[in-house]
Amino acid sequence: MNAQYASLLIAVPLISAFFVPLIKGFGKRTVKYYLMLVTLVQTAIAGAVFVNVYRTGEPMIVMAGGWKPPVGINLYVGPFAALFVLIVAIMSFFMAVFSLKAVETEPIDKYAMLFLLLMLGSTGMIATGDIFNLFVFMEITSITAYALTAYNKTGEAAEASLKYMVLGGIGSSFFLIGVALIYGATGTLNMAHIAQLAGGINPTVAQIGLALLIFGLAVEAELFPLNAWAPDAYQAAPHPITAMFSAFVVKAGLYAAARLLYIMQNASGWGSVLKMVVIMAALTVFVAEFSALRQRDVKRMIAYSSISQVGMIAFALALGTQAGVEAGVFHMINHAIVKALLFLAVGYVGITLGGTGIEKFSGLGRRMPLTAFVITVGSLAAVGIPLFNIFWSKIRILIAGVEAGYTWGVALILGASVVEAVYYIRLIHTMWFGEGEGRIRENLAIGTIALFLVLLILFIGLYPNYFWTVSQKAGQDIFNVVDYVKNVPLMGVGS
Amino acid sequence: MNVPDISVYYFGAISLVLIGLYAVLVKKNVLKILVGLSIMETGVNLLLISIGYISGRSAPILSEGVTASRAVDPIPQALVLTAIVIGVATTAMALSVAIILYEKYGTLNVEEIRRLRG
Repeated sequence: MNAQYASLLIAVPLISAFFVPLIKGFGKRTVKYYLMLVTLVQTAIAGAVFVNVYRTGEPMIVMAGGWKPPVGINLYVGPFAALFVLIVAIMSFFMAVFSLKAVETEPIDKYAMLFLLLMLGSTGMIATGDIFNLFVFMEITSITAYALTAYNKTGEAAEASLKYMVLGGIGSSFFLIGVALIYGATGTLNMAHIAQLAGGINPTVAQIGLALLIFGLAVEAELFPLNAWAPDAYQAAPHPITAMFSAFVVKAGLYAAARLLYIMQNASGWGSVLKMVVIMAALTVFVAEFSALRQRDVKRMIAYSSISQVGMIAFALALGTQAGVEAGVFHMINHAIVKALLFLAVGYVGITLGGTGIEKFSGLGRRMPLTAFVITVGSLAAVGIPLFNIFWSKIRILIAGVEAGYTWGVALILGASVVEAVYYIRLIHTMWFGEGEGRIRENLAIGTIALFLVLLILFIGLYPNYFWTVSQKAGQDIFNVVDYVKNVPLMGVGS
Repeated sequence: MNVPDISVYYFGAISLVLIGLYAVLVKKNVLKILVGLSIMETGVNLLLISIGYISGRSAPILSEGVTASRAVDPIPQALVLTAIVIGVATTAMALSVAIILYEKYGTLNVEEIRRLRG
């Protein structure tokens, strides 16, 4: 079958984003339904690509303009990319439905356009096989993310957006310096070609170049010293956008960091970069959990919790073993589901009751039983209680960590999990045993999405093996660089 | 003392990046921070261009008298063209946020813009 139709994953959101100003004339509701339609089409394409990649076991390689890599840019839709492109599309669809209710005051046309471009940027970051193209997609993602953070025209939103922009600007400059160093040393920008040549790079250049690339991506991936923007942006952004940030924008950054780490695994000095990432990730988990403990705003609390889970994923991805990478991918799927659910439910409470301070959640179990139930399931899953999905991925990460010899990191994560349990149980207690009366009618569409995500959490919790085999395949896609290089049809150019 | 042999382009480019970084980290005024970011981007672009420079060759436009073996590396120029556009877009975005900040807070001092805490 012709693999080129996978390029529609990039083309459809891009062209639909350009049509938004034309649709605007038909009114606000039309734009919202248009957004739902486009994300649904994207989900269909991503589903077709996913089925194709997993049925044949072969990655789909899109060659831009028919030029073979490394001369042309190629998209590499392997098992990992196919899986995550599907997750991006499904989550975007859910958030497009949520936007029907959640975005009322500000202009909808700009929102729809930025929403589609955010989806495009994340898809591109996951699918691309070229480091400069990765930079361009990363900038598409981050510029739309800056704009969407500042979308509610309040002082807080502008402040959060400015923090994000300054950090993101520094990060992207460092990333570009890293690209320049790698290009100067190898003369190529294609990831497969770099993987071939990585062994011959001067060790200092390889180390500094890779560290700068990881440093630049760490802003997007919210690793410890560079994640100060994240809780503010999560708190100030519109509710659907917050869910998108945590469900897939972070994942795109993490994946890109992991991909770049593993394609350079032949370079000397690789191990020390890996160690740096492990330390950053363990600190992310620890600092974020303790910051979450003292939050009064529930959305901000969940934002910190999301950052700590991301740290756990980065920890697993940087262990340098196959078991670690597979566990990390599994945790990425689970975290996307759970955090989308939590931000959806908390955002829904925010728009219904006006605000997400902890006092609004008092007695929510009597006022909005369905929403409270959904938040309860999400919280228990996030802590990693058995029978819920995160239990399985967390335990695999911990086992992989012990096997790789990072006992101190595992101890740190386990200690942080206790802290996580404390603040989630405090939230659950407030919801079910707090004061509060007056039943509020809940929205059907949002309830359906939330219940679907709850069922998914319970399903993965009871039968983890279906998703575990999928994430094993996806993990091998990242870890096994030899196969990756073999799959990309490199043109014989003098190296 | 032994001075390392480093080209003036590399030295200048890295200096620009460091000057920009210094401005971002130290300055208190939002506009000065944004100027710092712009300087940093310029430095990075200069670095990219100088990596592709081969001494004594001309611009990579194939015309009379210029063959492929007489031109500098064209790829960094394509990269920089993209990076410049991205830099301008980020700056425009940041300036519009600075305008909103001034409207809402009445100041551009980053130490006074602190409503989000935690």
